[in-house]
Amino acid sequence: MSGAPSGHPAAASAKRPQYSARLSAFILLTPALLLCSVFIFIPAVLAIAGSFFTFGITSRAWEPAGFSNYTKAFADPIFWTALKNNMIIVLGSITFQIGIGTILAAILDRGLPRSATVFRTIIFAPMVVSAVAVALIWQVILDPNVGALNAIIKSVGLSPPQLGWLGDPTISIWIVLMIACWQYTGFMMVLILAGLQGIPKELYEAASLDGARGLKAFRHITLPSIRNVLLVAVLITTIGGFKVFDLIYATTQGGPANATQVLGTYIYLQAFNLGNMGYANAISVVLLCIAVLLGWLQLKSSRRA
Amino acid sequence: MPNFTRAKVLMYGFVSLWSLFVMLPLLWMVLASFKTKRELFMDPLGLPGNWDTGAWGRAWDVGMGRFILNSVLVTGASVAVIIVVSGMAAYVLARSDNRWLRLVYLLIVAGFAVPVQAVLVPLYQMISGAGMLNSLGAIVLPYAAYGIPFTTVLFYAFFLDFPKELEEAARLDGCSRIRTFFMVILPLSGPAVASAAIFQAVFIWNEFVLALLMLNNPDIKTLPVGIIALGGEFTSDWPAIMAGLSIAILPILAIFVMAQKYFVRSLAGLGK
Repeated sequence: MSGAPSGHPAAASAKRPQYSARLSAFILLTPALLLCSVFIFIPAVLAIAGSFFTFGITSRAWEPAGFSNYTKAFADPIFWTALKNNMIIVLGSITFQIGIGTILAAILDRGLPRSATVFRTIIFAPMVVSAVAVALIWQVILDPNVGALNAIIKSVGLSPPQLGWLGDPTISIWIVLMIACWQYTGFMMVLILAGLQGIPKELYEAASLDGARGLKAFRHITLPSIRNVLLVAVLITTIGGFKVFDLIYATTQGGPANATQVLGTYIYLQAFNLGNMGYANAISVVLLCIAVLLGWLQLKSSRRA
Repeated sequence: MPNFTRAKVLMYGFVSLWSLFVMLPLLWMVLASFKTKRELFMDPLGLPGNWDTGAWGRAWDVGMGRFILNSVLVTGASVAVIIVVSGMAAYVLARSDNRWLRLVYLLIVAGFAVPVQAVLVPLYQMISGAGMLNSLGAIVLPYAAYGIPFTTVLFYAFFLDFPKELEEAARLDGCSRIRTFFMVILPLSGPAVASAAIFQAVFIWNEFVLALLMLNNPDIKTLPVGIIALGGEFTSDWPAIMAGLSIAILPILAIFVMAQKYFVRSLAGLGK
């Protein structure tokens, strides 16, 4: 904060701007700090505090529970199913969304630059649609009676799963993963495409003189040049995979028999359907720790970029 | 054409295949919305026989217009608050080398890491305790709060590169800092404002879990919670559900296609 240059001899006028600069800095910062405190930081602290108590949705009485909510979680098989499902979504999304996204981006950048805009628009489009709507469309497509998928499968003489795609606990989480890939692969492609467009063309020209073209150039020039973008993509996907809620809630609600439960939906179920607010807070704290760790990694990696 | 090699065919094939995979579900949604219930059940794949628009009427009567209006209001208000509040904070932070303000910046950035799913219980209790359930304010303020960290970072970087001569001129003319921000800085920050606004609008327009928790009154529901009620409203009326989803999705897709350059640029900013 620089004080205004005071050419005049009056000492008072040299002091006032200093004071008013501080005051205006305070005024400009207050709304942001207030909103973030009330809706982000204080709730986070309350979630941590609440995880050491037992209380219901309407009850005012908080009973001290020590670490029992945590020991309960670590002994709860559904908690572990939820965590495992988050991991499936995270690893599956990294593999397929970033894998396919990279291939698509590389093709559009080097192979088909003239039709890139059209394809980019189509493939990115699901990103702007709400996950709830996406979930509902797919729910109908996958429906055993009216769905398009079963009709296609039957028309080629195969038999679809008896319990339905989302009703069979052994495959439902993989179907959810497929829907997530449908929605977000385009987003990954666009992120990576932005990274590819920053690679100087001369690099490719030089490599081509040395005989490195096509796949060889992709391995030795493209991939190393976008290492940082890929890292950011992995972090965004990982964070998104741990935060997934809408898609599961609108397709399976965590079912059948908790087979597609994730941390987000399990927190919601425990808190607002079963009324175990303290227990829900303990699971929330696990999610919070994972998210903060990943957020910290993201901050570090983006600074390096 | 020597240029049309096998590699090119393969590349076109792969990209076209994925594009088809993306488009077909949306196309099927629209086609299904023009069928009768019986038609959809008998022949899920075929074209609609006589393009029946009854399902669109049934879906609209659930209150789609109301949901869209609520979503427009909530998104507009939240984005406006985010832009102004984050801009003010980022401006102060970018123009200072004070050690404490550096900490304030890191604190705001840290807010980016907190997922809303992890604070549902306290947020719900605070907002229901304040008697603010089922009010648009109950949703606009938390939406604004969760948009501030990322937008502040975005504006911070933008203001660092902002030419200082203009604000010095304003200062010499006797403008206070606050006036300088609103009269000089904000009006000249068009690209950053547009980018931040699109980014936040996409997320707020589609936000679901807080809306699900805070808005039960049908008059106040936003689009994502509104459409989830479609399933309950029409137990086996699939064409009506598909029509409702079309009403919810097609306008957004149209806006996206018209302004795709700006959407892509804005959302790809997350990678930087």
